[in-house]
Amino acid sequence: MLRFLALLGGIILRFTETTGRVLLLLLQVIKMMLIPPLEIRNTFKQALEIGVRSVPVVLVTAVFTGMVLALQTYTGFKRFGAEALVGSVVALSMTREMGPVLTGLIVAGRAGAAMAAELGTMRVTEQIDALETLATDPVKYLIVPRFISGLVVMPMLTVVADMIGILGGYAIAVWYYHTSSILYWKRAWDYLELSDLYGGLIKASFFGGMIALICCYEGFYTEGGAEGVGKATTGAVVISFMTILISDYFLTAWLIA
Amino acid sequence: MADSVIEVVDVHKSFGDNHVLRGVNLRVEKGQSMVVIGGSGSGKSVLMKHIIGLLRPDSGRVLISGVDITRLDKKHLYEIRKKFGMLFQGAALFDSMTVWENVSFALTRSGMKDREARMVAIEKLRLVGLRNVEDLMPSELSGGMRKRVGLARAIAHKPEILLYDEPTTGIDPIMADAINELIIKMREELNVTSVAITHDMHSAYRIAGRIAFLYEGQIVEEGAPDEIQNTSNPLTKQFITGSFEGPIKVEGISVS
Repeated sequence: MLRFLALLGGIILRFTETTGRVLLLLLQVIKMMLIPPLEIRNTFKQALEIGVRSVPVVLVTAVFTGMVLALQTYTGFKRFGAEALVGSVVALSMTREMGPVLTGLIVAGRAGAAMAAELGTMRVTEQIDALETLATDPVKYLIVPRFISGLVVMPMLTVVADMIGILGGYAIAVWYYHTSSILYWKRAWDYLELSDLYGGLIKASFFGGMIALICCYEGFYTEGGAEGVGKATTGAVVISFMTILISDYFLTAWLIA
Repeated sequence: MADSVIEVVDVHKSFGDNHVLRGVNLRVEKGQSMVVIGGSGSGKSVLMKHIIGLLRPDSGRVLISGVDITRLDKKHLYEIRKKFGMLFQGAALFDSMTVWENVSFALTRSGMKDREARMVAIEKLRLVGLRNVEDLMPSELSGGMRKRVGLARAIAHKPEILLYDEPTTGIDPIMADAINELIIKMREELNVTSVAITHDMHSAYRIAGRIAFLYEGQIVEEGAPDEIQNTSNPLTKQFITGSFEGPIKVEGISVS
């Protein structure tokens, strides 16, 4: 019993310590964002890395998600004759939920892991110390561009995912199940409100910022050589996934209210 | 006193339970070449990181040209850092940049245009004996070349103080001597103050104006190379002769 309590206490302590340190890093990042010069060249490079290079994976994921949504709703809704609503279900699910969450998971797995590994390697090979000795603030130079890119690029990717997902749903509903093409678009459009799209994009931006912050944190404070870099990368991806899925619930609850 | 560029005063530093620096005192005068020798884990690297302000001491002061850098805020610390150039043990070149971008990093950061920065980088690379490497990536270089690029980067912004972290570790003896030669050349041509940390005694004798021996977190002896060579201190004697027998014990191994 005592050992269990000690274990539990240890976990809680570590959790609160890490949360606190991530928040401190966030404050530092925000402070550095406000001090010129802006790292424009670096930010574009990171946006390219996080954004453009993620597009292929996002496309494949979104199109199949849209397709499977249409498949499931059609077979389910057919039982009570509501198969005409496939369009609205696909559109609502993609924009409100699937678009931002799936894109977030992809970006965390791809770009987030890369961030943690790169910063971790820079830490253990003293490149971050070298930046300091060359009078360059590593938070400003390394983390701020990634954070801004995360905030900005994630919503863009999500818009792409939303569109492609809805097109994927169209392909199944219209070409495979031969429902009316006009009805698919009409239903998709009629029940979709601008706030659905906005809500999804707010989530996406939040996820983007969190992914960058968590993955940079893990990489930046890496200890213990190559093994440490491996641990940091795994940790970054796992914590990002958890953060996305858990915060998604609370963000949704907040956006609905 | 006026001429001391670096002054470390009674610096203590612990990491958890590990009391690494236990009251280090060290003075380096302008133009001097100080070599700090000591075994692995004696706190050499930690001491060096205090001199350039990468670590802050638990107590004590570090004065650079009379300014206590342990109390400076970030902005002023970065100003002081511009006086420094540091060569890291593994060179610590930025993997994502070409050689010339590495060398001219501090210059482009402070606003120099790429064309000009590239020219300066090529000139600094020549100074360390490298030609036609400016467009290569660090991963394409050998260990010795990486160190030389690291040195070119350290001197690019014309620092007053050069720090060398184990300059000859991890490279072959001939390359090591070439690096020694470069360090001497830097001192003569650029007239810089330098601090090197090493456990390579051959290198220490070659490059040192003065040698300080760091043992268990304190400077136990300091003097000119010939004074150190003829020391009567048993600790220093054992270290410089590289003997297993003596007052310094290697844990887990005993004399049979």
